[in-house]
Amino acid sequence: MCMAVKFFGQFLVENGIVSREALLKAIELQEQKNLKFGEMAVAMGYVTQDDITRAHNAQLSRDIKLGDLLVQIGILTLTQLNEIITRQKNNHLYIGEALVLVGALSNEQLQQQLDDFKADQAPYISDRIELPGGISNPEVWEMTADLTYKMITRVLGLPFRAGKCQTITTVATNFVMAAMDLSGDVDARYIISVSQELQKSVAKAILSETSVDNEPPEVLEDTVMEFVNVVCGNIAAKASQTGKIVNINPPVTIRPDSAGLAVPAGYTGLCFPILVSEGETMQLVLFVRN
Amino acid sequence: MKKVLVVDDSLSVARQLEKIISESGEFKCVGHAKNGAEAIKMNHAEDPDIICMDMNMPGMDGLTALRSLSMLDKEVKVVMVTSLGGVGDKFTEALKLGAKNVISKPFEADDVLKILRGL
Repeated sequence: MCMAVKFFGQFLVENGIVSREALLKAIELQEQKNLKFGEMAVAMGYVTQDDITRAHNAQLSRDIKLGDLLVQIGILTLTQLNEIITRQKNNHLYIGEALVLVGALSNEQLQQQLDDFKADQAPYISDRIELPGGISNPEVWEMTADLTYKMITRVLGLPFRAGKCQTITTVATNFVMAAMDLSGDVDARYIISVSQELQKSVAKAILSETSVDNEPPEVLEDTVMEFVNVVCGNIAAKASQTGKIVNINPPVTIRPDSAGLAVPAGYTGLCFPILVSEGETMQLVLFVRN
Repeated sequence: MKKVLVVDDSLSVARQLEKIISESGEFKCVGHAKNGAEAIKMNHAEDPDIICMDMNMPGMDGLTALRSLSMLDKEVKVVMVTSLGGVGDKFTEALKLGAKNVISKPFEADDVLKILRGL
């Protein structure tokens, strides 16, 4: 099932290995210790906070990593970029290590649990985007998933873990499902489905509001459609750079019954599970014409 | 204060744009049309100085409305607001049809105001 992607911490809590409180304590420790790229660059004295703010603004409409952008505009050298990345990697505190540091796990337990977790997640976890064989225009769909992930980070500001792409015949129903049909050199339907809490996160980001509790349902729903619109527009732009024409249509909301949405005949259904936080589901689904 | 008409089928984008425009203190939002046909009617009724218009809308889309507006009203300045800003052909087409500029989504308030001030 697509929903089965988990964080290591969630796996441990679900299996009663550590308490929720211990996990939160470990996450808090991680947040203190693990600096983001921009924070590390500032901490190392290579850039100022103003440089980072300017670069973040420029980054919103471009598909480029912060570090690459800073090099491109001459604020960082390539050597400095590599030094920052290396320092980030070397200093990164993983959740398992954090759990050991807060006394929730011993080193021996950690190793055993990591082995169990890897076995549990083997069918779902992917370090890179891999599509099943036989899909038409695979490079477009790899780019589509990649760009969707980047937009979730950049536009929605949500940390997440991407699961392995799976072929499906039915899409599970979720709280909001927004779709856009793609045409031109491709024939596909792009769908983003989100749970109720994630819909609020999307709405806060799209509306630039700290609370959306008083927003009418149609506005909340519209924000998910707008996110789909933004991602698909950028997919069309990216595809055009490689000579592919991808036309977009106005986004729509789809409401399948509890049995879910069947992949139409003549199409292959691809599901990319996106785990944002415990119990909150988000999926990218593509129906690609065979 | 220059009057701006927002044209977008998305409630959330219209909300964003209206907020940016009204909070700027430099521009006044005179309404929100949900498609190209409504935009043409509201342009006649409200006589805005600037129209911020989405490209991808149900019914009459933004480029079709832009074509009509360019013929009907030589004074109004139209800026397209679109996630397709990075598609070279779409960008060029909008400018050729008379759009003064294109705001790419996702956008920030500064991006919008910079373009509106430059008109």
